[in-house]
Amino acid sequence: MGSSKHKKKDKKKRHHSSDSSDGDLSSKHRKKRHPSSDLSDVDVSNKHKKHKKHHKKKEKPKDKHSKYHSSDDDVIFVPPPPKISRNEVRTPPPPSLTPPPPPSISSAADSLSIDETNKIRAKLGLKPLQMENKETTKSRDDGLEVIAGDEGEFVHKPALSLTEKNKSDKIKARIAEKKEKRMIENKILNVKKLADSDSEEDAVSWVKKTKTIQDEMEKAKKRAQELEEMDNVFGVGDLIEESTKSEMKNFYSSKHLKGLEVQHSMDEFIEGKDVILTLQDKDVLAEDADVLVNVNMVDNESYKQNIDRRKQRLNYSGYDELEDMDIDSPNVVLGKYDEEIEGLKKKSFKLGVDEYKIKRDTIKEKLKKKLNQETLNTTQLKLASDYYNDTEMSVKFKKVKKKKLRVNPLKADKLERSLRLANNNAKENDDLDDIDDILNDKPMDIYNMKMENEDDDDMGLQLALKKARKLKQLEKIERKPDLADTLIKTEYNDNALGAIVLNSTAEFCRTLGDIPTYGKAGNREEEEDESLMDYDKNNLKQEHAVDSDESNDGWREVEMEKKLIDLKTIDSKPILEPEPDLGKGVAGALRLAMSKGYIEKEENARPSASRFAHLQAKNYSIEDKTFLAEDDKLSRRDRYSGPTVEFREKDSYKPNIKLDYIDDDGHLLCEKEAFRYLSHKFHGKGPGKNKIEKRIKKAEQEALMKQMSSTDTPLGTLNMLQSKQKETQSPYIVLSGTKSTHQNHGGSISKTKIG
Amino acid sequence: MIEITCNDRLGKKVRVKCNPEDTIGDLKKLIAAQTGTKWEKIILKKWYTIFKDHIRLGDYEIHDGMNIELYYQ
Repeated sequence: MGSSKHKKKDKKKRHHSSDSSDGDLSSKHRKKRHPSSDLSDVDVSNKHKKHKKHHKKKEKPKDKHSKYHSSDDDVIFVPPPPKISRNEVRTPPPPSLTPPPPPSISSAADSLSIDETNKIRAKLGLKPLQMENKETTKSRDDGLEVIAGDEGEFVHKPALSLTEKNKSDKIKARIAEKKEKRMIENKILNVKKLADSDSEEDAVSWVKKTKTIQDEMEKAKKRAQELEEMDNVFGVGDLIEESTKSEMKNFYSSKHLKGLEVQHSMDEFIEGKDVILTLQDKDVLAEDADVLVNVNMVDNESYKQNIDRRKQRLNYSGYDELEDMDIDSPNVVLGKYDEEIEGLKKKSFKLGVDEYKIKRDTIKEKLKKKLNQETLNTTQLKLASDYYNDTEMSVKFKKVKKKKLRVNPLKADKLERSLRLANNNAKENDDLDDIDDILNDKPMDIYNMKMENEDDDDMGLQLALKKARKLKQLEKIERKPDLADTLIKTEYNDNALGAIVLNSTAEFCRTLGDIPTYGKAGNREEEEDESLMDYDKNNLKQEHAVDSDESNDGWREVEMEKKLIDLKTIDSKPILEPEPDLGKGVAGALRLAMSKGYIEKEENARPSASRFAHLQAKNYSIEDKTFLAEDDKLSRRDRYSGPTVEFREKDSYKPNIKLDYIDDDGHLLCEKEAFRYLSHKFHGKGPGKNKIEKRIKKAEQEALMKQMSSTDTPLGTLNMLQSKQKETQSPYIVLSGTKSTHQNHGGSISKTKIG
Repeated sequence: MIEITCNDRLGKKVRVKCNPEDTIGDLKKLIAAQTGTKWEKIILKKWYTIFKDHIRLGDYEIHDGMNIELYYQ
């Protein structure tokens, strides 16, 4: 909107107002009446606007009418009241003379004029409204705009915007930071580094510096000496010394603290760390000694104690016993209750008293006592060598002690002989060389005997002994070169010392031996043995000795016999059986196969353990296993371990399997029926009544069908026909009705049931 | 200068003259001066967008003769 228009409007308005001041008043009046005056005004104006176009022509008279109306208000005319109201509604705005701009009065209600708004804006601190080309803005030195409007120049100072302020603050802060950084960097750059050579300080300057320092030091020394001298002259030095000494004496030192008790354990004080101790609180009247305490430590202790209680310490720990070994504390019974009974024992020590030293001393004493009893030195360790050293090698084997004979001399000659025997024996056992000597000299070699029974001086025995001796000597001569044999012999001799014992039981045995026996029982065996013995000369001589008894009705030792038998059994069988001859035919081949294990004997065809592995206990103890192992060994010994024939599938084996299901009645069932039967059995529920009947019927029919002949009809017509043909002896038969049968009786068949 | 009409549909309709550089807050103050309601109570809306106080009319692309909805809180 142009300002010029406004001016016009304003003028009109003024004009209007001047013309009808009464009307203005009336309008004001109206406003007072209606609190929502604006609303009504707006409405009115709108209506007016709407009506504008329609009632353009009517406007003038209406204006006039309004004027009249205003005069009406002044009570000049008195028109009828309803008309007035109607007029009021219809009345167009007063500045209706110029239609294009909106009526000023009504518009003033809803939109202020520019001046008014500018005024308001000035009050609010806003710029005046910008009018196009009308206002010139100049920027002043202080950055504020000078606006030259209609109402003179004025300066607008914009309000502070917080956002801009914040921004600027931030930037300022950043700049400040940067500045500081730069400053610090500069400082750092200025600092001399270690590697930088200080160019200012060359050798000469350094020397000068040191010199000056030295000079100063000397000067200071001199001055001090001078001062001292002065002091000595006036006797001040002694005074000072005395005073310091007295001060030192008065000074509260560790001496004064000696004997004070500190109620903490020594361990809690760490070396090199100061701990402030205070006197513990106590009753004023109590006469206990002062106790030093650190508050923090007391707190710690209580805290620790609480934790211990919460932990519920163990009643017993194996370490206690070990601890008791070190320090001889009296063994306490149920030590855990000590605290509750006697109250907490607090560890404490006294200042200036070296408790550790005391403790150490006690321990030392104890150790000394112990040292007297036992040494800690053990045998020195040596390097183990793989070979025997000399001392070890020199150890000799123990000689087996021989039983000494106790010969009871009966007669002079016996005694003499026995002595000689003993000598011989000793000689023989001394060395191998001796044996050779004996062999060469053919000495008397006899079994040592122990004569218990004095009365037993049997000449037979003597004879037998003599004979045996002779035999042996002969053998020895024969097998002279065989040194090993001789050795064996000697050994045997050693073993056989006292082997033959002549006592009452032996006598008894001898008498038993006299009993004649038949068959292969008893002493007959010996003869066989003898033959065997002769056959196998490598056997020991002992048997020969026994042989010698033969003449003397053969009493013999039981042990001997046993040995003989054993020997026989061992020797008689060769270790390997003779291989059966393959050339003898099938039997020989079979036997060979059997022996080699190609074919199994039926005895051996026992069920193997592996076949019944599934029956074995799955869980067995180790003991069981050991037993099993033994069993296995035994069974393995029984079993062969030779090569076996490879297992082959039987190609020709094609089993013919046929499953037949049979009814309760004995009928064969087909597959379907069998299934039905089984399912009935399985479910325990038979078929229904109808079904059973049906099946029975079917079965009956089947039976009938089976009975029925296949060659004839059930009525036997064919049979009849044939018989008829035989009768008539004609190859035909005449089939006719009842009439014809009467006529031709011979060749007709009457239908009658045969049966 | 632009002229904006603000209308609550309860009977107040105001035409306000203002600069496009004015903020919404300024506009509210002007409206308050014209209508007599406190400016803090005024909400200006266009469809569902509530205009914020610190933003300028030009930035909201409010032009001459535009209608703005007037609400109260």
